[in-house]
Amino acid sequence: MLHALRYDLRVIIACAKKDIKSGLTERAFTIISIILPVNILVLLSLFVLAGSQAPTAVVMADTGPHAQQFYTAMIHAHSFRLQQTTASSAQQLLAAGKVVAVVTIPAEFDSRVDHHAPVQVNVDINNLNTDFTNDIRRAVPLSITSFYAAAFPNLVSVVPNEQDAYPQDTDYIPYLTVSILVVGLLVGGLLLAGTGAAREWERETMKELLLAPASRWAMLLGKMLGAFVLSLAGVVVLLAVLVLAIGVRPVHWGEVAVFTVLTLTMSIAVGTLLGTWIRQRQAVTALSIGTTLPLFFLSGAFGPISFTTRPLQLLARSFPVYYAIVLFQHAFHNFRLNTLGVATNGLVLAGYTLLVIALAAVILRRSTLAH
Amino acid sequence: MPSNTVTLVQAAPAQTRLPAAEAAIELRELRKVFGNFVAVDNLSLTITRGEIFGLLGPNGSGKTTTINMISGLSTPTSGTINVMGYALPHDAQQIRRLLGAVPQETALYEELSAWANMDFHADLFGIPRREKAARITKTLELVQLLDRKDSRVSTFSGGMKRRLALGRALLHEPTLIYLDEPTLGVDVQARRAIWDYILGLREQGKTVLITTNYLEEAQVLCDRLAIIDRGKLIVVDTPTQLKRRYGGQVIEVETSQPIRALPELQTLAGVQTVTQSGTHLQIVTEGAEKVVPSVIGILTREAQITDIAVREPNLDEVFLRLTGTALRD
Repeated sequence: MLHALRYDLRVIIACAKKDIKSGLTERAFTIISIILPVNILVLLSLFVLAGSQAPTAVVMADTGPHAQQFYTAMIHAHSFRLQQTTASSAQQLLAAGKVVAVVTIPAEFDSRVDHHAPVQVNVDINNLNTDFTNDIRRAVPLSITSFYAAAFPNLVSVVPNEQDAYPQDTDYIPYLTVSILVVGLLVGGLLLAGTGAAREWERETMKELLLAPASRWAMLLGKMLGAFVLSLAGVVVLLAVLVLAIGVRPVHWGEVAVFTVLTLTMSIAVGTLLGTWIRQRQAVTALSIGTTLPLFFLSGAFGPISFTTRPLQLLARSFPVYYAIVLFQHAFHNFRLNTLGVATNGLVLAGYTLLVIALAAVILRRSTLAH
Repeated sequence: MPSNTVTLVQAAPAQTRLPAAEAAIELRELRKVFGNFVAVDNLSLTITRGEIFGLLGPNGSGKTTTINMISGLSTPTSGTINVMGYALPHDAQQIRRLLGAVPQETALYEELSAWANMDFHADLFGIPRREKAARITKTLELVQLLDRKDSRVSTFSGGMKRRLALGRALLHEPTLIYLDEPTLGVDVQARRAIWDYILGLREQGKTVLITTNYLEEAQVLCDRLAIIDRGKLIVVDTPTQLKRRYGGQVIEVETSQPIRALPELQTLAGVQTVTQSGTHLQIVTEGAEKVVPSVIGILTREAQITDIAVREPNLDEVFLRLTGTALRD
């Protein structure tokens, strides 16, 4: 028994060492496997940055304290990317399509406000894009309300009494980038493990493995370990970009480490399964990228899946990516996105991982040659 | 040119069933079907321990499928396989320990060095760590690749790769070695070297199973041969017996001008085939000594005989006789 275990351990280490050596010889591919997840992180972040705030020009015809307060209220509306400019420049920017709207704070703003006289804030909108147009249409009245609540609290009789579930607010970017970290881990693990397994079939070296008396489990775990070690470089880069460049700092560092290992193991298991099953690197690569992104969008990447419709929630809960996102949102922001609890979410993800490893082992065990 | 049809041998001669202890490999009514295509058709065969046994047949004849089934890489549709007293698929793991394989495509990790390939194989087959380095060194020395141990396999020639694959197959000291087309794509010099290694294995008491479609290779290496075609076993025997049983003798004649009396030659008792190419005649007979006087009589009526020789047939001719096709078809 002990002898068999030692032999299995030796096979695991040998397979891992061999795959790491092979992977390092294919540097271009390994680098792509690192760059691609980081690319996804950066691109999706840029996509969010580009879509989240409408570029808006503000013409300050009055620079009194109320006008300044109104400007501050606009900043806090989180819908504008503001720039102060002159009236003529603002119109030029609007005509050139460089801003979505021009908001003009009129002359005598302060005195009219002080005298409770009506004030008209002109808003010129380039309504080419409904999304941005609606952002402006929502955010300008919001800014007016916020301005009044701040400037004349005694005049506002209806006030919200907000009870926050979490002590801190989390912006869209920090929320989304954590989900993007999950998709990055998923893509990296899938690609490295999937292509590593498929390479054995493509280059016909699988015969060397299949003809050995070693257990299929040991070979599989060895290949997964190899892919795991190779993926670590990508993980370090991803976390560095997230923490240092984007500035998202985790609340629970320990959880980040554990969930990274768990999610990476899950994605490597899925990659190994795909590579063993499909046996072609090109197909595995296409499938990895082609399935990861829809899964990512389906699994609550942009916001808690519990806020969506029931069928969508059921669909999301059938994918392991959902549980990984839940776990990482807890690790980074202390969020609880479902009622399962951290341990149960972790167990579900671990269960998926074990199931996929078992499936890959069955496929490898049943693997025979076509001729 | 005379149209002389060859007779296909329909059934394989009955084989003597060897006691299990002496049989290295026993195949009984082995069959492999892919969809509607029968790759191996009721193949029964016994390979004795310590012999070099050749599976001979054209591409697609079922050689590699058979060898894949023997090594557990492919599952038979029906039939039984026993290797060194172990039954497949039940004892597959034990069989793999006894088996050293040199697949047709070598299955080497080309991006790794020769040493790394051997090292990986040693770990996969559980060679004791203390012995590992010494055994790898000895094996690389045997296949004359020790000086290239740190070179990537991708920089090796075809012959070097074959030698390395052979060395790797021997590293765990198997009792049964299979070599699938061991000299495919290898130059003449390297082929000779590989033959020497294979012949050396017999001296060590190993059982060797090779597949080849080089008849010369089969003739040089094999103690016994099985000819298979379209998945069926055609015949099993020693190369010498095969030539004797199915080849007859060949009379080669060079004449001063082409001969018109080919039909007359064809009717001579014992003549199997007559072929003429320009002024060269080839007559395959069952007994040359009885036919030669009549052949000379017929030919000298039309032309002068400039050269005449009687020789044993080669395996190409045996194969043609048995299957009706040349081996390269």
